[in-house]
Amino acid sequence: MTEVNQELDARNLNCPLPILRAKKTLNGMESGQVVKILATDPGSVKDFEAFANQTGNELLESTEVGNEFHFLLKKS
Amino acid sequence: MEFEHYQKVALYGFLLAAIFGAIANRTNFCTMGAISDWVNMGALIRLKVWLLAMGIALIGTQTMHASGTIDVSDSIYLSTNFTWLGYIIGGFLFGIGMTIASGCGQKTLVRVGAGNLKSLVVLMVMGVTAYMTLRGLLALLRLQINDPSALDLSERGLTTQGIPEILSMWTGLSSSMLTIVLTILIGGGSIIYALKDAGVRKSFDNMLSGVGIGLLIAFSWYVTGVLGYDDFEPVPLEGISFISPVGNTVSYLMTYTGSVINFGIAVVFGMIAGSFLYSILSGTFRFESFNDQSDLVHHLWGGVLMGFGGVMALGCTIGQGVTGMSTLALGSLVAALSIVAGCAFALKMQYYLYDEQGWWHAFKATIGDMMPSRHKSA
Repeated sequence: MTEVNQELDARNLNCPLPILRAKKTLNGMESGQVVKILATDPGSVKDFEAFANQTGNELLESTEVGNEFHFLLKKS
Repeated sequence: MEFEHYQKVALYGFLLAAIFGAIANRTNFCTMGAISDWVNMGALIRLKVWLLAMGIALIGTQTMHASGTIDVSDSIYLSTNFTWLGYIIGGFLFGIGMTIASGCGQKTLVRVGAGNLKSLVVLMVMGVTAYMTLRGLLALLRLQINDPSALDLSERGLTTQGIPEILSMWTGLSSSMLTIVLTILIGGGSIIYALKDAGVRKSFDNMLSGVGIGLLIAFSWYVTGVLGYDDFEPVPLEGISFISPVGNTVSYLMTYTGSVINFGIAVVFGMIAGSFLYSILSGTFRFESFNDQSDLVHHLWGGVLMGFGGVMALGCTIGQGVTGMSTLALGSLVAALSIVAGCAFALKMQYYLYDEQGWWHAFKATIGDMMPSRHKSA
């Protein structure tokens, strides 16, 4: 089980807010720390893949839990 | 059953838009998302997909124009009434609106079809505001801004506001030759730039949305220009656009017994239907609702700004950005760039407002970021 250092609730928010908030949250974290993001926007799945690819922060997990999408991002 | 020509145009408009809606739903085609990827993470793929669509629409449209199939100078985009201030202000406000409403007019319709109730609210507010700006209270404000500032290009000897014709006046080169050169440079250049990226070229979804949407928009000119032609009552030449049509759709629904369907209204219904069908078939249909009051307020403002700005600028990310650009109108370029600027501004503001240090702090930081030399400071 990955240790989660911070949690970000982006539920009921649509693009671009989940990405903006994740970016902001990561800015305040140390390298190697992990943030768990909760979202409900179906577009966020592709958005977080692209975000990880582009920024080098690792997307450890992307799962659908009920009506929600959960992501684990590790700061590079 | 025999269709009247205007009904045939509406039917084709509906079908074209339904394909558009299904493709956009599947591939996440979104201009605001494209600008957000660029501004927030430096990713250009979605912007390249958008450029691919624009390039294909441009080449397709200009090919039909050159062959005499349609005459794009009949469209509103090429009017000699050059309302430059309206393009700039309207475009900028539209760019802000689409950012705080989670997407532009096109994306809003796709989201409505996929079950997003926020977008349904945006759609209604946008439609009412658009109609108010076309014919109602806000039309006064629009005319206050546009009338004193508009340039009448016909006084300068021009017959359109096409970039080739304007350049032709300056350089003395032939306008039709410049049209070909610009079509190849802008259209071909955009396509090559997009396809050089393997992320665009090798992704089925990216190719489907770029090529598909570009072709659909080019074909939309054919629908109104050729299928809609009639000796006595030709339908107006237009391509796919969303903001005035959403306003007209609201009016159409309210005055149904006294109204006649047109291409734009059919496009609005088609987009929603196509996206709805795709989301049902793919099992992705889901209801989404507002988070809290501030979420609602943002979406309401977004709808107002898009409705007003979209009519003021004579189009949206698709109406001006792709359909208008395919006519090589100068106003379309100005409006599209203003939309991008408004969107980038709003994205940066949203980012800095999350610090909760107030509007002024966010505004200063945003302006700092938008100055070219300091662009990457965030």
